[in-house]
Amino acid sequence: MEKILLKNLGRPGFHTIDSCLVNGGYNGLTEAFKHAPESIIQMVKDSGLRGRGGAGFPTGLKWSFIPKDPTIQKYLCCNADEGEPGTFKDRGIMENDPHLLIEGMIIASYAIGASVSYIYIRGEFVFGTRRLEAAIKEAYEKGFLGKNILGSGFSHDMYIHRGFGAYICGEETALLESIEGYRGQPRKKPPFPALSGLYGKPTVINNVETLACVPAIIEKGPKWFSSIGPEKSPGPKIFCVSGHVKKPGLYELPLGTTMRDLIFDHCGGMLNEGRGLKAVIPGGVSAPMLNAHELDTPLDFDSLAAKGSMLGSGAVVVMDESTCMVKTALIINRFFSHESCGKCTPCRDGTPWLTNILKRIEYGNGRPGDVELLESLCTNIFGRTFCPLGDGAVMALRGALKNFRDEFQHHIDHKRCMVS
Amino acid sequence: MSTVKINGKEVTVKDGTLILDAARDAGFEIPTFCYQADLMGVGSCRMCLVEIEGQKKLQPSCITPVLHGMSIHTETPTVMSARASMLEFLLANHALDCPVCDKGGECELQDMVYKYGPHKGRHAEPKFKFQEKDYVLSPVIIKNSNRCVQCMKCVRVCGEVVGANVLGALGRGDHQEETSFLRSFLDCDQDGNCIEVCPVGCFMRLPYRYKTRPWDLKGKDTVCPYCATGCRMVIEERDGIVIRAKAQLGVGLNSETLCARGRFGFDFINSPERLTKPLVKRFGTLEPASWEEALGVIKDNFIAAGKNIGGIASARLTDEELYLFQKLFRSMLGSPNIDSSARWAPEAVEGFIKATGMDEGGASAFDCMESDTVLITGTHLSDENPVTDYIVRRISAGRAMNLVIASPRAMKLDSSASQIVRHNAAAEGHLLDAVTLSVYGGNVDKLRDVPGINRIKDARQDDLAGKAGCSADDIKAIARKLTGEGSVGLFAGTEFLRYPGSIPGLALLKNALKALGKKVTIIPVLDRANQRGAWEMGVHPGFGPGYSPVKERGMGCADMLEAASSGELQALYVVQSDIVAMHPDENFVRGALSGLKFLVVQDCFMSETARLANVVLPASSFAEKDGILTNQEGRAQIIRKLLPPPVKAKRDIDIIRAVGETFDRSFGPKNPVLVLDEIRKEVGMYGEVSLAFNNKRNVDNKLDLKEALVKPAGLAEGLNASGLETKLEPKTDEHPFLLATGNHLFHSGRLSRKSPTLIGLLKNAIVEISAEDASALGLMNGDKVRIKGRYYEAYATLHTRSGSKGGVAFIAENYDDVPVNRFFRRGEGVPRVSITKA
Repeated sequence: MEKILLKNLGRPGFHTIDSCLVNGGYNGLTEAFKHAPESIIQMVKDSGLRGRGGAGFPTGLKWSFIPKDPTIQKYLCCNADEGEPGTFKDRGIMENDPHLLIEGMIIASYAIGASVSYIYIRGEFVFGTRRLEAAIKEAYEKGFLGKNILGSGFSHDMYIHRGFGAYICGEETALLESIEGYRGQPRKKPPFPALSGLYGKPTVINNVETLACVPAIIEKGPKWFSSIGPEKSPGPKIFCVSGHVKKPGLYELPLGTTMRDLIFDHCGGMLNEGRGLKAVIPGGVSAPMLNAHELDTPLDFDSLAAKGSMLGSGAVVVMDESTCMVKTALIINRFFSHESCGKCTPCRDGTPWLTNILKRIEYGNGRPGDVELLESLCTNIFGRTFCPLGDGAVMALRGALKNFRDEFQHHIDHKRCMVS
Repeated sequence: MSTVKINGKEVTVKDGTLILDAARDAGFEIPTFCYQADLMGVGSCRMCLVEIEGQKKLQPSCITPVLHGMSIHTETPTVMSARASMLEFLLANHALDCPVCDKGGECELQDMVYKYGPHKGRHAEPKFKFQEKDYVLSPVIIKNSNRCVQCMKCVRVCGEVVGANVLGALGRGDHQEETSFLRSFLDCDQDGNCIEVCPVGCFMRLPYRYKTRPWDLKGKDTVCPYCATGCRMVIEERDGIVIRAKAQLGVGLNSETLCARGRFGFDFINSPERLTKPLVKRFGTLEPASWEEALGVIKDNFIAAGKNIGGIASARLTDEELYLFQKLFRSMLGSPNIDSSARWAPEAVEGFIKATGMDEGGASAFDCMESDTVLITGTHLSDENPVTDYIVRRISAGRAMNLVIASPRAMKLDSSASQIVRHNAAAEGHLLDAVTLSVYGGNVDKLRDVPGINRIKDARQDDLAGKAGCSADDIKAIARKLTGEGSVGLFAGTEFLRYPGSIPGLALLKNALKALGKKVTIIPVLDRANQRGAWEMGVHPGFGPGYSPVKERGMGCADMLEAASSGELQALYVVQSDIVAMHPDENFVRGALSGLKFLVVQDCFMSETARLANVVLPASSFAEKDGILTNQEGRAQIIRKLLPPPVKAKRDIDIIRAVGETFDRSFGPKNPVLVLDEIRKEVGMYGEVSLAFNNKRNVDNKLDLKEALVKPAGLAEGLNASGLETKLEPKTDEHPFLLATGNHLFHSGRLSRKSPTLIGLLKNAIVEISAEDASALGLMNGDKVRIKGRYYEAYATLHTRSGSKGGVAFIAENYDDVPVNRFFRRGEGVPRVSITKA
């Protein structure tokens, strides 16, 4: 398959606007200006593009919620606060092909009528920020940003806003709060950002990868895009593979590729031939893990949802038989309790409690009934939190408990680990 | 309207009603921590989760509006288990030190755990502790973060209602702590609203600390005795000592809010300086005497004085006391010389009453805030009437409206305004005239016959704007807002009384707007708890109870003092008013009082005036009496007696009656209830007024009880508002600052000086000038400065305020170390002063 999103990966120097223009960069934008904004939205709708940030919401539909009134200020925010452990796809795009993102953002802004857009970039991405800053400067120089872009009459300004290291700011409304200068905590919905977002104005928030798909859709047509992968989740997707495989890294593949193909064909199989696969987290640590029997699951939104997991950000974490699941659960849970923003009760006070219990079990101080306590606390947290952060923590733990309950029990009963 | 089913019961509510409100109206209780009607919903505590048919997840009812046809369940096992689980989470890291917690016994967390469980703890881990020891956050606030339930009400009330914005959260997740910036010592309004809204013992009153348990307290409903906003509160005592004042959610126009004065300033009641025995002057010194002796002396001297007698009663007394006081003078002593203020000229009062339409009955501040354009003028609202400031801030934030603030001094409320105008001090009249002229310019036909328009119609806009000290554009912008769509509300403060020359401008603007067919609601903003009541009870030389005409016009305070100096007035009866401290020109007052043959002072404290008296009678505070107070809006509100007056002190009403009875045994009525009956009969405004107030902790937060507003008087022809002028000392290079005065945020008159807590917040005098003036003089905030007028000089700490109009120095009237009235000289207008580094 022709690479769209990662075409510059491993090609140093191709990130500049000159090489970008030679290789067909900004053709999508030129094409887009030949259409009315509504038809751009329609094209994205027709392409079937679904949000790549994790929730998989249809992108065209999201854009169509923005009020059409031209007198209202609207904003586009690019969510580049890539914080999900195991995920590094947006970084790959921003560092290697920043103009692809910028082009996608200009097209999206044109479609929704936003005169200003923000890239909310994770604070740790210093290199990516510099690349983007340079790229935005280049785009201004070439007239892709600023007043009256390419003579279309559309004007647009783009700013970078660096985050300060809070996972919660990847949640779209917390991201808006953070851009506005407030404490990064999610806002209540409704009103949804499409009606009242940044500074109370209609706002679209899209993931980097989603926006990076847009130029190709406009240039090659929605039909081409929807022909890739399964009907309901079409298009290319970047998988970030890490863990016990021979060749971890970024893989741009059509959605619907099976887990087995990804691990054993593309990534060269397990790292240590002697150890079999034990579990895979298919979409970032919020996604419940799958066990070795579920390897033939196609990696797309609906197939994974049917298995009780989710595609999420496409961060595939592969674990072999030497992995202790209690320790894995502890590490994942500790992340969530550390990143809980503190707004709502179940997440703020529930996730640290889970961490404490897991710590106890891992360190050999588990008590009888702890597994049941964990399950009960999961029930009390799940679905009752303000935003999906707490749900993510619970889903991850539930996945581990569902598949490897005996390992937890072994820890409690024998005060030692089952696998090492 | 939407029809929804709640637990099977069908109810119809307005569109957009929150599920929580709908359920509570339908009689179903839903517990909450973070929800408060006055604050923006955050939906974070998750206590109020309810089940909605067709929705997978439980929904927070405090931020979810009803949709037509919804079917909601609030008491299913899932909902109940969710409540119990939230409480379990809250308790996980809660300190559980209830036995030593000030809140124990009235803690919402305790109550809810008792009610909704869990009754068994499963959390066996070490608890996270923010700190080992409680820390002092301000002179009145102490904090224990380990008890926090993270409802953020403190932060929100501080930002949304008080506008101080000094609280926020540190840390993240379970380490999140609501506190000041890096836990620094707070230099804020010290109003303690964060304490009041705190559902647990996290924010606590420092003065109240470890004094008692809530169940040992005995409380009574009352009204704050300081400014005229009329905040309802409950004062509570233990063993005869008042140790707490608190406001209640949904009670009174203030709901849970109070200012520093109201919440912490009650402790003057317990002061050891309280007068407890009558004193009679013998050979130049005041010595204890019996009531019989004191009353005997009073009788003899009053008889000797005949009709040459005058009376001044404080505007903090109850309506009953004031009514009886004027009755004593008018019908018993036969003297028309009574007044309720040492500060305002009687004509100014009459003009102000007419201009603000107080004789047309009460007007609710909430109605005023319903107006499309609200103009606040003649008051430093944020300091003078802090809770009115909260109401304005809260309501203006929630709706699209114009809020125009015209004041020489910058104030906290400015941040809520859509237009701020800084005019010269004492130039309210010129400003309003300029605005009226601008209005007139576009509506000559409609306004030609408005009474008083001739005064300004030939004036030049530039002249008026120049006198007011603001730009013509500002004036035009105000005029445009006032004449735009919709109704107009005005808050008009005490500067109009201080500078009476401004009153015709206010009256004219009101008449002009009315002539344009606009609905105009005016709220007089007053600084003494019962100032309006005092006037409506007829404690004024120019009108009787209910603003009725009087047969013979008497002398006001200033005239009485003049008459005393010339020997014409022989006796003066002063009730709880410190005229030496409050009347402009202290020397003149002292001279005049020494010219009296006989001075009776009835007070709680040995005031400056009392020291000069021949007889001093020990009076009672607001906590020691029953009665009603009428606030600035004309809202009559009951205060209840909590304690008996100390030792031999008596209730003011009993003293006034006893004085009357020395002349005629039948003088009465004999008790407050009967006096109120007589008021209702004699004063039409109070005939129907409702004193009923649902003083229960109500949840629906309906604050505006319109039946408590007094009715129109309907006979105000007698008001004499002539000869109003503002006299200013001419500006000289030697004395560049015009001296403005009023009340400080932490003080009200001199009464608050007896409160140890308020003295702890601010003891020594401060003088406030604009930051620009200060930097021009090379002075800095906190410098010790010398303030020099033509007749007096004093030292004070400089306070600079950025954004204030230049050329104004503000010294509050509250300080005993710098009595601001010494700068004044009778007949010479508002003084000017110079400020130099000490």
